[in-house]
Amino acid sequence: MSKNLSYLAGRKGVAKTLFEELGIAATESGTPSVEKMEALRKEFLVGKANVYGTATFYDFLKPENQGKKVYVCNGSACLCAGTQPALKYKLQKHFTEEEIGEMCCLGRCHENSAFHIAGKNYSGKAINSISEIKKNKTVVADKYNIASKGTAVLTQKFAGLEANYQILKDCLKKSVAELQTEIKTSGLRGRGGAGFPMAIKLESCRNTEADQRFIVCNADEGDPGAYSDRYLLEQQPHAVLLGMIIAGYLADASVGVLYIRAEYPESIEVIEKAIRDLHKHKFIGENIFGSGFSFQFKVIKAQGAYICGEETALLSSIEGQRPEVRVRPPYPAQQGLFNLPTVVNNVETLANLPFIMKNEGKAFAAIGTPKSTGTKLISLDGYFNKPGIYEVDMGTPLSVVVNELGGGFRLPVKAMHIGGPLGGLVPVSKINDLTIDFESFSKEGFLLGHASIVCIPEDFPLLLYIEHLFEFTAHESCGKCFPCRLGSTRGKEMLQKARTTDYKIDRALMDDLLETLEIGSLCMLGGGLPLPVKNALQHFEDELNPYFITKV
Amino acid sequence: MEAVKTTSAVNIHTNGNGAEKIKLAYINDKPFEIREGETVLSFVRRSLGNRIPTLCDAPNLEPFGSCRVCSVEVALQPNGTTKTVASCHTPVTANSFIYTDTEKITRLRKNIIELVLTDHPLDCLTCEVNNNCELQTVAAQVGVRTVRYPEGKTHLDRKKDLSHPYMTSDLSKCINCFRCVRACDEVQGEFVLSMAGRGFDSHIIKSFDDNFMNSDCVSCGACAQACPTSAISDVFESKSINVQKKVRTVCTYCGVGCNLEVAVNDDTIKSIQAPYDAEVNKGHTCLKGRFAFSFYNHPERLRTPLIRKNGELQPATWEEAYDFIAGKLTYIKEVYGPDYIAGISSARCTNEENYLMQKFIRVVIGTNNIDSCARVCHSPTALGMQRSFGTGAATNSIDDLNDTDCILVIGANPTDGHPVTGAKFKQFAMKGKTTIVIDPRRTELARYATYHLPLRPGTNVAMLNMMLYYIITEGLEDKQFIETRTEGYEDFKKQILNVSISELEKITGVDRTLVREATVAYAKAKAAMAFHGLGVTEHSYGTYAIMLITDLAMITGNIGRRGVGVNPLRGQNNVQGAADMGCQPHQGAGYFDVTNPEYHKMYENFYGVKLPNHIGYKIPQMYTASLDNKLKALWLMGEDLVQTDPNTNKVMAALKKLDLLVVQELFMTETAKIATVVLPGASFLEKSGTFTNGERRIQRVNKVVEPIEGTKSDGQIVVDIMNRMGYAQPDYEPDTLLQEIAQIVPFFKGVKWNELGDNGKQWPVKEDGTDTKILHTETFKRGKGKFHYFDFMESKEIINNGKEYPYIITTNRELEHYNAGTMTRRTKNVELLTEDVLLINPADAENHFIKEGDMVCVESARGKVDLKARITDEVKPGLLSSTFHFPEIGLNVIGSDEHDSEAMCPEYKVISVNIRKSKGLKKSIPV
Repeated sequence: MSKNLSYLAGRKGVAKTLFEELGIAATESGTPSVEKMEALRKEFLVGKANVYGTATFYDFLKPENQGKKVYVCNGSACLCAGTQPALKYKLQKHFTEEEIGEMCCLGRCHENSAFHIAGKNYSGKAINSISEIKKNKTVVADKYNIASKGTAVLTQKFAGLEANYQILKDCLKKSVAELQTEIKTSGLRGRGGAGFPMAIKLESCRNTEADQRFIVCNADEGDPGAYSDRYLLEQQPHAVLLGMIIAGYLADASVGVLYIRAEYPESIEVIEKAIRDLHKHKFIGENIFGSGFSFQFKVIKAQGAYICGEETALLSSIEGQRPEVRVRPPYPAQQGLFNLPTVVNNVETLANLPFIMKNEGKAFAAIGTPKSTGTKLISLDGYFNKPGIYEVDMGTPLSVVVNELGGGFRLPVKAMHIGGPLGGLVPVSKINDLTIDFESFSKEGFLLGHASIVCIPEDFPLLLYIEHLFEFTAHESCGKCFPCRLGSTRGKEMLQKARTTDYKIDRALMDDLLETLEIGSLCMLGGGLPLPVKNALQHFEDELNPYFITKV
Repeated sequence: MEAVKTTSAVNIHTNGNGAEKIKLAYINDKPFEIREGETVLSFVRRSLGNRIPTLCDAPNLEPFGSCRVCSVEVALQPNGTTKTVASCHTPVTANSFIYTDTEKITRLRKNIIELVLTDHPLDCLTCEVNNNCELQTVAAQVGVRTVRYPEGKTHLDRKKDLSHPYMTSDLSKCINCFRCVRACDEVQGEFVLSMAGRGFDSHIIKSFDDNFMNSDCVSCGACAQACPTSAISDVFESKSINVQKKVRTVCTYCGVGCNLEVAVNDDTIKSIQAPYDAEVNKGHTCLKGRFAFSFYNHPERLRTPLIRKNGELQPATWEEAYDFIAGKLTYIKEVYGPDYIAGISSARCTNEENYLMQKFIRVVIGTNNIDSCARVCHSPTALGMQRSFGTGAATNSIDDLNDTDCILVIGANPTDGHPVTGAKFKQFAMKGKTTIVIDPRRTELARYATYHLPLRPGTNVAMLNMMLYYIITEGLEDKQFIETRTEGYEDFKKQILNVSISELEKITGVDRTLVREATVAYAKAKAAMAFHGLGVTEHSYGTYAIMLITDLAMITGNIGRRGVGVNPLRGQNNVQGAADMGCQPHQGAGYFDVTNPEYHKMYENFYGVKLPNHIGYKIPQMYTASLDNKLKALWLMGEDLVQTDPNTNKVMAALKKLDLLVVQELFMTETAKIATVVLPGASFLEKSGTFTNGERRIQRVNKVVEPIEGTKSDGQIVVDIMNRMGYAQPDYEPDTLLQEIAQIVPFFKGVKWNELGDNGKQWPVKEDGTDTKILHTETFKRGKGKFHYFDFMESKEIINNGKEYPYIITTNRELEHYNAGTMTRRTKNVELLTEDVLLINPADAENHFIKEGDMVCVESARGKVDLKARITDEVKPGLLSSTFHFPEIGLNVIGSDEHDSEAMCPEYKVISVNIRKSKGLKKSIPV
């Protein structure tokens, strides 16, 4: 990161960002032209190398993206479902090899066969209508189960604009201190994976002296297998937006930025429409409800980089910098977007705020376990009989999710990858030992993370799966810290070599590599990769042993 | 450092008097005191030295956390669970337990380096940085013996970049530590380098993935110096350890005074780096300081004295030359009188040499006809600031940029003229701190500034009057400061309130609202620093403008503390020193008035001879005197009047009329070509002495190599001629000369050669050796600061020629060359900038059917020159700009005779001209 570049980006603020301009410049051909980059770098007072460096970082801006017309999902769920080779074969009848690109997880994990054309996602049987889709004649919406067990905090039916924003009206009549206490009482922890208490972030941001502060909604749900944020963005947009406004009031921030991944085009559309509705009703803008509090939104469309889900990379991304992970401190709450105090929270975290404000913190704290309060959304992939989004109270047994809500597995499954690519690899034998909360998973050597579940079927080679995880990390590594940049690629190379030749991996070297990644990496991408790999090595020793050698 | 001795379990201690709490942390179970804001790495380094290996860390860069090699284990309680953290960006916390070399950490470091070596050529023995490679050192330290990974992807096929005359890269050796990218950003502020791609594919690029030559690189070399391997380096291989000795000295290319570390082999300069511990430049310097040294043994160096015989300069011995000169001077002195002889000293030379030069002219010749090139640059600064404050020098230090809230930069283009200070300004401006640029041109700094006031050249007085007016009308005066520290305010105020803003707005061409906003920003800043350059001084009313700048500082109370003041950006490396040493016709060494009977007597007593007590000629007066037959001999110490003084034809005529023109020079300059005697001098790399930079810092210049055969230091030449003319002057030796200077220059009282250290001292230096960072803290040198008011007056150049010649050309400098270019044109800098060009606005170019690269005839009332057009919005319509780095262009032919009303500094900045597309063929100069 560059402080200078952050300051320079701050000159135009969110009103006009280099990042968006690059996206616009790439709309036609898939990558911005040199002429356009030259004009932009002059306008934004940055170097040519900065603009070029940024453009080449993103899947949908880099020169290799030129001419791509259709993108095939290569996320974990589609991989395990094995639907993509057939999908690609069908697409090849309509597109040349050069026109077919890849996207990592379109959030269609419930029915797979996912692909993206002209700003729209398709999955399941949609490929059969490819001719109509190509002609822009049809939009095939996806459907998935939505249900809750316990309190419906996030999945309750939308009560209507007026009712929803009555909560805001009531909040604005109360003091910040009063509301802050409610958040504290609620025990709400970040749902993005780290589980950091939200109250502390809000307070720290508010207490940092500045002329402007930001609330950033991290809607870059990049974890393959997860689509619970997509659900909230598309089906509960006003819970998210209201959550952001309330956070803004609490942190004394007047701008809310939603950073939404390009792989979720429908989410962007829905959110943008919801914001227009808020403007229409004057629920946002200057001096909301005459309270003196002002708040406005900005939607930023991402350009394809998993690392942008890491909060500091996300901030750099908005600023048009290369989204390389920043060192902490300073924490975003002190020096975030444009070097100004910023609260970055996950979609689901923010969507909890309206409930807390309406029902008070105590009511929220009463749900779940003492340390993990509230509910959790879980995404189930297509290996379940009833794939979809389920909301459960924290502390609900995993077996209830798998067997009751998910209706059990459609086909034999040997393990579940829970909590995204950096979450734990849970063998089915452990289903009865786990409950859905941060502590239970951590105690058993797994990670709740974002609580997405991707199933690994019996016949799927685990060596291939961990190679896929290394490959994913290698592809998505920002390239800043040495362990992740080098280690993810070397790991992938070793696994690939072991899978395709008679090469045996030196177990001590693999252990060294995993330790180096785990304790040496700058962020959780490199640091988190070893967890599922270690789980696999521990729980599926027999399957993996033939590929390893223990040197004396 | 010793470990803090304690056995107590309570780790927050109170010291003896119980007042201050000492906070401790433990390194490998030994307690040490921690300091506020320290990282674990800086804490361990301060306590135990460099025991933690690092790769991405660098002395002048922010913590970055990419290599992770500096990882340590930290526990928050004794025997508590530890966490592995990168020490470079982790703040040290009180009572934490830091373990620097556990088995786990040792393994981690080794494993990281093993990974790095999977993508690094293993050709250490033939690598230019062998034994000075940080990767090599760390690999050895952590003990990597094998690389266990199977062969995979690498970057070993990246091609070398040898496109640039100085910068090189071999990115197959890059370890992706980002130090070059960060240096280009955090130090130079240029953003030429970045990474492209991501993950394993991340790789360093220049501009749009170009080579160095085609990129926007300004060749400062910061990236090469920052690179821990030889991935980025320079053609001089400055990181190679194939060096016999390194000598620290001071750069001669501008008034910033960068310290240089010069590597020498067999009395030949190999390369230059910037020392990190230099207070002035902290490991940074520009392409002139770092790379433009090869002039010193250029084949064209003068290597023997030359005497004009039968119209031609012919080689002579030193004896012949001295005899010839001494004979001529003695004759002229006896027949016409000493006032028929004059000398011009050099701000490029040392204090000691300048002191000797003025001593020679005053004491040996017996005239006050001594001046220096300060005349043509900052003489109005010295005079104006003396009148307001009593001292004509910068009131503060550049380091005060860390303590100021606002900088006001008037008539200066520091990113070209003073690159290291310019880079600091740019860093300041980029961060959004209040930066006000008053300059006709949209300079690089102006692009980043909060306010840019693009006034018409020659209207500084009008602009400053507008600002002063707004300070009063907006009620932003510092009443207390005015009351207690100044005089003449009421009278001044009355006059300033009489100005007509609408008239001044029309004169300057700058919107009054913009001026008011900028003024308010300056006045409201808690601490505001004013800087100015030749864009203020080189005018008809430069001294007045200076005094109005001092008014601005005084009226807002911006004097006498950190982060404030009036700070001239000195052009030449020792322009401050030349004036300090008395190289001016009205003041002797230490600025005492030669006409004041008391001081006159003091000088006479000190030197033991009769001295003249009337003011001598200033440089422009010397030309007139020569043309009027009142000057017969002129001695120049390294000054190329023909190329650099305006109105070349007049200068030539005046010089040709002399009976004796002695020129001490490095090269056959345009002036040397018409000299009677040419004496080959030694360059700054070949002699010792002191330079005083723009912030009054007297720094040691140390001889790096022996003078090239046949040459002598300028000081020794003057000493020789003094002796030859009967005055016993010991040989040139800075130590003893400083002792003499300390006796007559009060602010040099405590300056001793052996006590100046690496970073010098800022004058006044008291007898006990303590120096001074900030002037006028309690009182002004003259007692109270004095307010002055001046009406705007139009330059006579505009009044007389503005109608017929409606364009204004203003002269400037380009980064790559220094003034006349005598030195820089004899280095590879000439490959980077090959010629003087004409900056012209697109609208003007269109009106005259001029296209980029066309030759344009620029004509003034004095003459005309042809220049190649560079079309740019850096200049407004009606405004042109160019340089006089190249003698073949001869820009000063069009220059005027106008000069500052008080100090006689020539008006380089306002020349009325007309333009037309040149009829001549486009000159083809290779790029």
